[in-house]
Formats: sequence, structure tokens, C-alpha cells
Amino acid sequence: MTTFDLFLQQVINGLSLGAMYALLALGFTLVYGILELINFSHFNVFMVGSFIALWTLQQFGLSGQETILVGLPLAGVLLAAFAVTMLATGAIGVGIERFLLRPLRNVKGPAAMITTIGVSYILFNLILLTVGADSKNFPNPLPPLAFAVGGAVLRLREVLIWIVATLLMLALTFFVQRTKLGKAMRATAQDPEAARMMGVEVDRVIMTAFFLGSALAGASGLIFGLYYNFTSYLIGFNAGLRGFTAAVLGGIGNVPGAMLGGVIIGLVEAIGGQLIGTAWADVIIFAILVLVLVFRPAGLLGRLAPDRS
Amino acid sequence: MIRLRRCFAGIPAARRRQLGLLALTVFILVFPLVHDNDADIDSMANAAAYATLALGLNIVVGFAGLLDLGYAAFFAIGAYFYGVFTSFQVMPLWSDGWAPLAMLGLVEKINQGGPDLVHFTLSFWLALPAAALLAAGFGVLFGAPTLRLRGDYLAIVTLGFGEIVPIVARNAESVTNGAAGLNGVQAPRLFGWNFGVDATPYYYAGMVLVALLIFVSIRLRDSRIGRAWMAIREDEVAASAMGIDLVRLKLLAFATGAAFAGATGVFYVAKLQTATPEMFGFPVSTMVLVMVVLGGMGSVWGVVLGAAVLQLLQSWFLPDLTEWCHALGALVGNAWLQRVDFVESVELIFGVILVAMMLFRREGLIPATRPAPALSFAAQHVAGVQRGGFVGLERIGQWPKGGGNALEISGLTVRFGGLTALSNVTLTVPAGGVVAVIGPNGSGKSTLFNAITGLVPAQAGGIRFEGKDILGLKPHDILRRGVARTFQNIRLFPNLTVLENVLIGQHARLATGPVGAVLRLPRTRAEEATAVQRAIDIIALFGNRLAPRAGQTVSGLSYANRRRVEVARALATRPRLLLLDEPTAGMNPAETLELAEQIRSLHRLGLTILLIEHKLDVVTRLADTVVVLDHGGKIAEGPPDEVRRNEQVLRAYLGRAGRAAADA
Amino acid sequence: MHDGGDTILRFEDVNTYYGDLHVLKNVSYTIGRGEIVSLLGGNACGKSTTMKTIMGVVRPVSGRVLFDGAEIQDLPTSARVRRGIAPVLEARRLFPRMTVYENLEMGAYTRPKGAEFAQDLDRVYALFPRVQERRRQIAGTLSGGEQQMVAIGRALMARPRLICMDEPSMGLSPLYVEQVFDIIQQINAQGTTIFMVEQNASMALSIAHRGYVLQTGQVVLSGTAKQLRENPAIREAYLGELQVPGAA
Repeated sequence: MTTFDLFLQQVINGLSLGAMYALLALGFTLVYGILELINFSHFNVFMVGSFIALWTLQQFGLSGQETILVGLPLAGVLLAAFAVTMLATGAIGVGIERFLLRPLRNVKGPAAMITTIGVSYILFNLILLTVGADSKNFPNPLPPLAFAVGGAVLRLREVLIWIVATLLMLALTFFVQRTKLGKAMRATAQDPEAARMMGVEVDRVIMTAFFLGSALAGASGLIFGLYYNFTSYLIGFNAGLRGFTAAVLGGIGNVPGAMLGGVIIGLVEAIGGQLIGTAWADVIIFAILVLVLVFRPAGLLGRLAPDRS
Repeated sequence: MIRLRRCFAGIPAARRRQLGLLALTVFILVFPLVHDNDADIDSMANAAAYATLALGLNIVVGFAGLLDLGYAAFFAIGAYFYGVFTSFQVMPLWSDGWAPLAMLGLVEKINQGGPDLVHFTLSFWLALPAAALLAAGFGVLFGAPTLRLRGDYLAIVTLGFGEIVPIVARNAESVTNGAAGLNGVQAPRLFGWNFGVDATPYYYAGMVLVALLIFVSIRLRDSRIGRAWMAIREDEVAASAMGIDLVRLKLLAFATGAAFAGATGVFYVAKLQTATPEMFGFPVSTMVLVMVVLGGMGSVWGVVLGAAVLQLLQSWFLPDLTEWCHALGALVGNAWLQRVDFVESVELIFGVILVAMMLFRREGLIPATRPAPALSFAAQHVAGVQRGGFVGLERIGQWPKGGGNALEISGLTVRFGGLTALSNVTLTVPAGGVVAVIGPNGSGKSTLFNAITGLVPAQAGGIRFEGKDILGLKPHDILRRGVARTFQNIRLFPNLTVLENVLIGQHARLATGPVGAVLRLPRTRAEEATAVQRAIDIIALFGNRLAPRAGQTVSGLSYANRRRVEVARALATRPRLLLLDEPTAGMNPAETLELAEQIRSLHRLGLTILLIEHKLDVVTRLADTVVVLDHGGKIAEGPPDEVRRNEQVLRAYLGRAGRAAADA
Repeated sequence: MHDGGDTILRFEDVNTYYGDLHVLKNVSYTIGRGEIVSLLGGNACGKSTTMKTIMGVVRPVSGRVLFDGAEIQDLPTSARVRRGIAPVLEARRLFPRMTVYENLEMGAYTRPKGAEFAQDLDRVYALFPRVQERRRQIAGTLSGGEQQMVAIGRALMARPRLICMDEPSMGLSPLYVEQVFDIIQQINAQGTTIFMVEQNASMALSIAHRGYVLQTGQVVLSGTAKQLRENPAIREAYLGELQVPGAA
């Protein structure tokens, strides 16, 4: 491989990672935008999502990478896996909000954030105790198709990941920009009291934000499995930190910003990892997080207008 | 049992506490002697290590309110410091330059069949303070850029930092031996006697360390420094307006917490005689956080209890519980009960504890502040009755009378985004004068105060206090120069007592630093005693209103009393210019009149006052000059009676009379 | 006092608290259908709290709030908006990063988006041609006067029977104040009842039918606009001057 091909290959890898991080970042941004809460449980809702996806695929008799599906069966299985995973993680997110965070809604200080850390820990250990510490082979029914792009290899799974992530992000953008509930969500993020006075049921909006964010985390968990061919109880921490960094980089609370941030973080990880060594990827990501927070806390896209008119 | 309790009830609280402490000390001293089980003593020694970590994190999270999720990083720094400088991991070639260090016993020359090498042999006792200093240094280095961040951002940055340190330890194999870990770490020696592998010496060393850090924690908590940390935790803006340098004190909290962790790292590694990256990961940070939350954030004894409970739960209770369940399972023939292992689930239990504490008992097992009981009628009437003025004003002394102008504002313009909150405002407050600022809602009055006290930046103009430019200074610097304020929406430190609130007002006038606070030398004692006396004198000014309530937390006070505490806190800063932002808002006519009289008596003492007030009769009683703002600009200025008749002012307040007349 | 049977909003001995601060003390109002009623008073006397009590952001500790004869004090805000109460909030409070059109849509949040929505939109655009021009602009970038127009338009989009306005003149230049008050009169003439908190007493009384004067949480004066205008005591009360012996 030439240097350029190597670079091209890392761009392809980076875009796939970026798709995953962007979906995760959206969950952080939706919740933060409304509640100004860093939701640490999101880290492991993502991880649980990848296990739910694993079990769903197993229900279709898939295990490992040997069973290959094509055509309608493939589309059907994937659609079902995404739907089940997203609904399940969405429900987990709603449950966390309704039973553990809502009672703390009006409590000042870090109580709600500490609660999300506790929830994250509980999810992490539940999976560790029920599934075990070994990584699990993740079924992948995709045909091993690959295209040559210059000297780099573009596999079918990457194309699929890009398509799915793009569709989900378009759907979310449509929801937030065009639907009534989506507009209510934006309004609540900008001025909760005024939104309430327009007749918006704020509790419902917050629940929706948790549902959507968690559902996207579930999709991201499935993508993780398809991309890496494994999953483990450990994956939440690193991916979550990258997702959060992506949200901050794009401007936390800003939906397009989260998508952009995700892609950038994915590319940085892939290309930076290539240049400096993957063992240091975490250090690079962390350095970006600190630099952004210190020098440009509003992120790349920031907020489009001042908070209060 | 009841008799026993009755027997204790007769002993005064302080005495009871001393007895309890004595009993605890005796128990700790004799425990290894009577309980000859090395594993149990080892568990207690581990509990001691975690208690020291919890004490350190408590300073950061509990006292100063900074949520640090990567605390184990400092633990790792101390641990690797001692590990590297006592093991055989890093061994440079020997040269004579090392000889002086060898004389001091820090290194020795060894030969492993090649050239002579240097073996570091740092003493455990030297390593404890050195690691504390090193970790504190890292705390400052790392805290300086990040402590300006909002609290929740700090949490995520520290989380990342906590993850980086073990990664560095894993990757920097030449120094740390990577994932395999350091081996052959030297055991401590005391007067030539080696601690070895027995748990007992570590147990005693750990207990001494805990006792020392409890002592340091309590000394810090009950000092000027501790009060400043708690003020920051309660309300950063108010803290800086009361003269507290936020960056410096946050860094101090961070560094102190890091120092505790660094020292603990030395102890822990010396005890285990190995160090691997896994010992310092996120789970450790979380566990320490759970200990602090369980025990009670800000509560010194609480976090020690939290650490002991969790550590002993892990090593004593859960194994037993597991065995009981297995036995029960065998008895009833339940396969799940026979398989269940609670020791494995300990982290799950931590998570549940964290969530349950947040939902049901946020103040922890031993709350840092306990609500004072309501006062009886008699207790409310211990101090003198005040009618239209202060009680014992002479005790707080005369204010120095300055000449000329105290405050000169020229062409001040403040914009927020596109909105101009103040435009080209010019205003002068003569020394010893009382100037009132009035104007409709949204006319820029509070923005004016915020600009004077450095809470919002100005786009143009100048602010001079006693002839010196103060525009652009930090709020705490402005206070230091003698400008104090109250807030329109009352910004006290709600979970602190009246006395503590007023003491925090004196922060900038006291000098005790962290070292002085811990040593509590005669000079510090004298300063503190004077400060408390002065605070009591100031509180006593308000007679029965505040004096009986000095020990109550302000969140339980009535609205009018909270306003009075704000005035008291501002007076405690020894201001030469006092800014009062609607001091009588929410007060009934009698209370208003009383406060107006009190303000007037301050003025008679020579204090210069700038006042925002809506009640025009208060303004008329107090002010020499009234300045009227409308839409961010000054529309009138003059003696109260003149301003009251000013057509433009009436229009600003009452609207356009012309149209009203036309319609009538 | 309004005493007709056609009452749209009534407060009966309402008491509210913020923590331990007693804000409204046994307050009673009666607003007749089709009226403009002004609530006057100095700062921190309970005017904004009255508005928040009507909208359900603050719940009374005792007393009743009746809208169209039914008790509403325990209903959530959204239910009140559905019944026909819409707010124009203090300092406008538009959604700053949404377009003008989206802000108007939020006003109609509780109603289906059908033919009526289009009608209401036309009505708002007819009242405020300026708002129609700016409909695609981000609300946070409008001038204060334009924002106030959008805020009023947003309230109208709920097709309310009662609009509660909190300081519609605050922060506006005199020219805009005149315009805003003209519009308020027009809206009222089209049949919407208006309950308005206002610091600009003369202006408010010039268009109101009746008024109440609030001082430290209590109604100290009420009457027709004409009575209030002619009452010399209003100025004293309004400026927060205390009736305490010995006061200047």
C-alpha cells in the first residue's frame, strides 16, 4: 500500500467509526440540550444495545460470520435487528429517565449526574455478571463483498454502516426540524418555561429526548458489532467518551454539531492512530476534549443565537 | 439498653464525642492484638487506604464542590513514584555523580553481572510527603486549564484524565513495566526494622495516616480556607463577590485532594509491593466517589465511615453472605442460590448504592450539616430589642472618612449580544454620600451593579474607585479594594450558618493560609477569634432578628432575615463603598422602615452607599442624590424631591401622561 | 367592580408563596368577557406572580382560580392553554434559535394544524405585516419591537379567549409602545379579553376598561380606568410609597 492508499483506508475506517460516534453523540446532545445533564448512563446503554442486537441476530439463527444472507432475507434481518435494538434501548432510556432522573429534576447540584454514573455502573455489571467477561463473537450476515478504491478496500459492511447512519441522522433531523414534537423539543431546549406556557408537556419532551438518544445509542451498538465482529461488556467506556467528545466538539446541544463532531473524532482516531499508534488514540481524543473545552467551549458550530432574546 | 442510653444522655455532647473517639482509638489499637487473623487485619489496612482516598476526594467534591471522576490518577502518580524509585525497574548506569545520593541512602550501587547500576532505594517515610507534593503539583498542572470549566464539564475532563494515566502506565513500559506491573517494590523500614509482608505494621501505619488526614481535613474545614471552599460549592458568583479568589482556591482544593491520593498511593504500593495499571482505573475512582457519597459529601467522619463500610462489605460481609446463600440454596434445593456470588457483584452493589443514595438520602450516612432545631420564644428574645436602628453599632467601629469622590463612573456602556443594557452612563458617588439609583424594570440598574463589581464586562467607559481604575479587575480584587454588595435575588450560601456566612464576608480581610489552618498556631487562633467576635458583633447589630439565629443555616431563615444576613455579610467585608440592590424588596412596611433606619445609621458612621431601591420614600429618607435610569441610560439626577417632580421621570415610571390626558 | 354574570376569569382569595415568601395575599380579581383589565403596581408587588398563577407555573396554596366558571388552579399549564388562555411573556421570551414562523407554530402547539391554523396565521400577518416579512428570520436576531409583535402574534395563534400580557411595553422605545398598545386595543375589539400587567400606568389605563392596583401582594385599589386615573393615591401606591407614620 502506498501512503496515500493507507490514508484512504484510514479515511474509510474513520468514517465508519465516525458514524458510530455521531449516533452516540446525538444522544448526549439531545439530553444535554434540554436538561444540561451529562448522561453517563448513555455509555452503557450503548453497550447493552450491542448485546440486545447480538441476541436478536441469534434469534434468527445467526452466529459467527459463516451464515451469509443476501437480498430480502438480509434486509429483513437487519431491519428487524435495528428495530428491536432501538426500541429496547429506547425503552431502557425512558425507564432511566422516568424512575431515576425525574425525581431529581428539581434537585440542584450534581445529584442527577451522579445517578447516571450509578446507572452506568449497574448496567455495566449486570452485563458482566450475566454474560461474562469474555468478548462475544458478533454475528455478521453480510456477504464479504469488497470494492477497491484506489489501493484501499471498501467493504460492504462499511457502505451499509454509512447508509444506515445517514438514514438515521436524516430521520432525526427531519423529526427535530419538521415534526410538532421535534419543534417542541427545540423550544424546550431554548426556553423551558416559555415552551411550557405554549402548552408543551415538558415531561413528554424530555422522555422523547431520552427515547431517541437511547435508541440511537442502540443502533450505534449494533453498528459496533457489525464493524468489529465482537462485543463485550467493556466497550461502553471508550466509545462513550468518544461520543461525548464528539458532542462537545460539535457544540453540545447542537444536533448537526454532534454529527460533524462524530465524523471528525472517527477520522482523528483512525488517522491519528495510524500515525502515532493506536495505543495512544485515547490520549489524542482526550487532548481534543480538553483543548475544545478550554479554548472553544461552544464547540465548532456552537449555538446559533444568544440563549435569551 | 434504655438505661444505658439514659446514662449517656447525662454526658454533654462534647464530652460524649471525646469518649467515643477514645473508645474508637482503643479499639483500633488493640484490634490486631486480640484478633489474630492476618486476612482481617489486611482488610482493615485496605479500608484505611480507601479512607485516606475518600478523605482526599471529600476535599475536592465535598468541600469545594468540584466533581472529580478521575481521582485515581493521583493515586496512581503517588503509587508509581514510590514503585519506580524503590524497585529494580529503572536502573541507570552507575557513575560517581550518584555517590552523594548514595550517602543519603536514596540509591545504592548494585551489580547484576554487567556494569555497575543504580538501584533507587527511596525511603517510604520520605516518599510519603514527596509523593504528596508531586501529586499536588500534577493537580495544579492539570487543574489550571480545566478548573475554569463548568462543573459538569470538569467531571468529564477528569474522567478522561483518570483514564489517560493508566494508559500511560501501560504504554510506558520502560518505566512502569507496562501491564505486567512493577515488581520487587521495597517494603517500608522503621529504625532498621522491615515491615515485611505481615499485615499488622501496615495496619498501624494506615491508621496513623487516616488519623493524620482526618486531623488535617477537620482543621482545614474549620478555617478560613474551608469556609471559602464551601462558599464556592454553594454559590461561585457570590463567593467571588465576597473576595474569594476562585481559581486559586479551587486549585488549592484540587492539589490538596491530589496530595492525599499521592501519599495513599505510596502506602498502598508499599503494602502490596507491586503496582499494575489496573489498580488505578475508573472503577477505583468510582468506588472512592461511592464512599464519599455514601458517607456524606463534605462530612469528614462520614466519608471515613463510608470507606470502612464499603471496604469491609467487600471483604467481610459479602463472602459470608455468599456462603449463607449457598448453604440456604443447598438446603432448599435452589440452584441459583447455590451459584450466586455477591463478591463478584460488588460493583453492581456500588452502582445501586450510588443511585439509592441520590434518590433517598443525598446527605449521606453522616450529614455534613444538621438542621438546627427551631427556636423557642425565649431563645428568640435573648438579645436586645431594636427599634428603628442597630443595636451596639459602636462596637463595629467608625468608618474612615475619605475625601473627594468614592466612585466615579464615566461613559459606561454594557452590551449583551445585540442588547444594550447600559449606554454611556456617568455617575459619581461622593465619599460619605448616599446615592440611590431608581428606574423601571429592565432599565439596567442591576447591570450597573454587576459592572461595578466586575461580574459583567463593559464595552466602553471607565469605573474608578477612590481614584483608581477598577474596570476589568476580578470581582474578588474589587472587593479587596473596599467595594461590597448585596444581590437583588439574595445570594447567600444557603447550607451554611448565619455565622459562617458572615465569616466568609471577612475572607479578604484575613490571612490564614492552608498551612496556618492546619497548624493553627497562636497567631491563627487569635485571628480566628477576632474574626468570630467581629462576626458576632455584626450579627448582633440586628438584635433579636439575627443574634439568636447565628448558628442556624440560612436556608431556614425568613426572607427578611436572609436580606439582613446579606447586609451583615457585606458589612463584614469592611467596605468603604456598599452597594445595596433592593435591600427592602419583599419586606413589609415595618421591616422596610427598620432597615432604612439601619442603613441611615451606617451612613452616619461614614459609610458610602450606592442603593437600588423602588420604594420612593426609602429613597427620600436616605439618599442625597437620586439617579434615574431608563432603557439603560441616565435620564435624570438630583435631590430626591426634585427628581420626584421631574416630568421625564414620571413618564418613565407612569408612562406617557400626555396620551392618558388626551383620552380622558 | 365588574359584577355582570359574564365573567371569564376570577381569582378568589388566592395566596401564593415562593418558598417562605408570601407573594399574593388573599387576592381576588374578576375579569369580564371582552374587557381589557390592567394590573398595576411597583416592582416585586406580585404582578408577575399573578400571571404565573393564571398560567399554572405557580400554584396557589389556597384560594380558587376560575376560568369560564370552572376551577383551573390544579390544571397543568397545557390544559389551561387548551381551554383558551395564552400568555405574552415578560421580556417576550421568544425561542431565539427558531424562525419567526416556528415561533408562531409553537403558539398554536395545542391545536391541530388545519384550516384554522392558516386563518389565524393570516390574521396575525394582517395585524403585523412586519412579522410576515420576517417569517423566515431567526427570532433571536429581531429587534425588541419586532420580537414583541411576534410574541403577541404567538399568543394569538392559540386562538385564545383570554390573553395574559406581562409588561408588553418593557424595554420598548416610545414609538413601539404606542404601536403595541394600538394593537392590543384592536385585538380586544375583535373579541379577545385582555388581562395586562403593566408598569406604564398611564398608557395601560388609557386603553383599559378597568384596573387593579397591587401593593406588596395585596389589592389596594380597584375601579374603572377613569376612576383610577383620577385618583391621586394611585401615584403614591404605584411608586411603592409606604403609608407609614413618619414617612416623608
